[in-house]
Amino acid sequence: MLILKKITLFFSRELKLFYSKITDLFSNILFFFLSIFVFIFAIGTDEQLLQTIGVGIIWVLLLLSSTLSTRRIYEDDFKNGTLIIMHMSGLSYELIAFLKIISHFIFFQIPFLISIPIAGLFFNLNINEIIVLIITFSIGSLIFSCLGSISASMNLLNKTNFSIGSLIILLFSIPVIIFSVGIINSNDDFSSLLNLLFGIALVFIGISPWSSATCIKLAIRNK
Amino acid sequence: MLKFLVNPSKFIKFSNFIFKPLIIVTLLSFIVGLIYIYKSPLDYQQGLTVKIMYVHVPSAYLAILIYAIMTIYSIIGLAFKIPLSFIINKAIAPIGAIFTLSCLISGSMWGKPMWGTWWVWDARLTSVAILFIAYLIIIFLNQTFENREVREKIIAIFILIGSINLPIIKFSVDWWNTLHQPASISKLSSPSIDITMLQPLLIMILAFSLIAVIIAILRIKAEILIRKKHL
Repeated sequence: MLILKKITLFFSRELKLFYSKITDLFSNILFFFLSIFVFIFAIGTDEQLLQTIGVGIIWVLLLLSSTLSTRRIYEDDFKNGTLIIMHMSGLSYELIAFLKIISHFIFFQIPFLISIPIAGLFFNLNINEIIVLIITFSIGSLIFSCLGSISASMNLLNKTNFSIGSLIILLFSIPVIIFSVGIINSNDDFSSLLNLLFGIALVFIGISPWSSATCIKLAIRNK
Repeated sequence: MLKFLVNPSKFIKFSNFIFKPLIIVTLLSFIVGLIYIYKSPLDYQQGLTVKIMYVHVPSAYLAILIYAIMTIYSIIGLAFKIPLSFIINKAIAPIGAIFTLSCLISGSMWGKPMWGTWWVWDARLTSVAILFIAYLIIIFLNQTFENREVREKIIAIFILIGSINLPIIKFSVDWWNTLHQPASISKLSSPSIDITMLQPLLIMILAFSLIAVIIAILRIKAEILIRKKHL
């Protein structure tokens, strides 16, 4: 029971932090919409063209705008020492990483789910495509949170090369993009591709807490 | 017997002992391989361009093999805390990157006359390009962190995660319908390539691997000496 109480305390703390930094989330969503506008102005407003390439553009922009917030997953807590205090209060680093992934998924990826139908309107997507987009993004964004946790924990002590964290996320997100856009573009049965996407999500949920915890331990030891 | 694979000073002794014979064997195998390639028959469909294979296949093979070696050494290094494994990881990453690049370039030079394009978004080609980017990220990570322990271990973790790509590269020609042809040389079945082409190919694979070993020995030795100086 004690561990459940600690987990609820963790999430209530994350919720408070989320409220204090809510403009960060709003600017991420604004970045998403602004980049959609820029994209549409760059390729022209041909409705047929926008409908064919809309899904891919929405996916790529979702990826880019959700990577904006990943650097914040561990950085503040690492700098002010909260990570060490959490560990001293009995949570293992693996559990902390897992909870951080879940909280990043809830607080920073779910709001994008709400903004997907509005973005679909700009591209004249029909309702089926939007529903499939929401289904795939709700799985894919979990993978993005895992990747974000890995790259954020790897770059805790990185003071020179800031873009390499995004490089790591982009590299591993290629299979996610391939399968998710494949699901939407396949007309008939897409359950097999959806299963593959689920499989990738499970693999990354299995890998990322351990690797993040190893990186956090390294960073704390060499702070 | 195999202590030189984990012990730096034994590695230096062993490499000093083996270095000169290695160069002679490499030169010999290169000369023999080039003669065999010159004599090898032209393909009835592809003509002269089939001889790109003798560069393309060995470099592709080495690109994957070097990543696999780095994966094994990352596991050893993280589990048993052996310093030489991290030294080897750092030393052979650029070699793998160069072989991957040569595989991609020779492949696109082969693809232009045969498939009609320099590049197709095929599963095999894409996964090898991802492998190249992974090598580049490893090289960048080597320049990023100030603390050596952090750098080494983070690179090892990155290598371990990136090794998911290796089976995808290997089986991409079997799992998806690709333009790239499936493997012609397999351990389990008899090769689907003619013996007159198989001989020079195997000799070239040997020569390329020996070159990789020579460069790797030089780089690992330099890295060991640098670290000894700083300690």
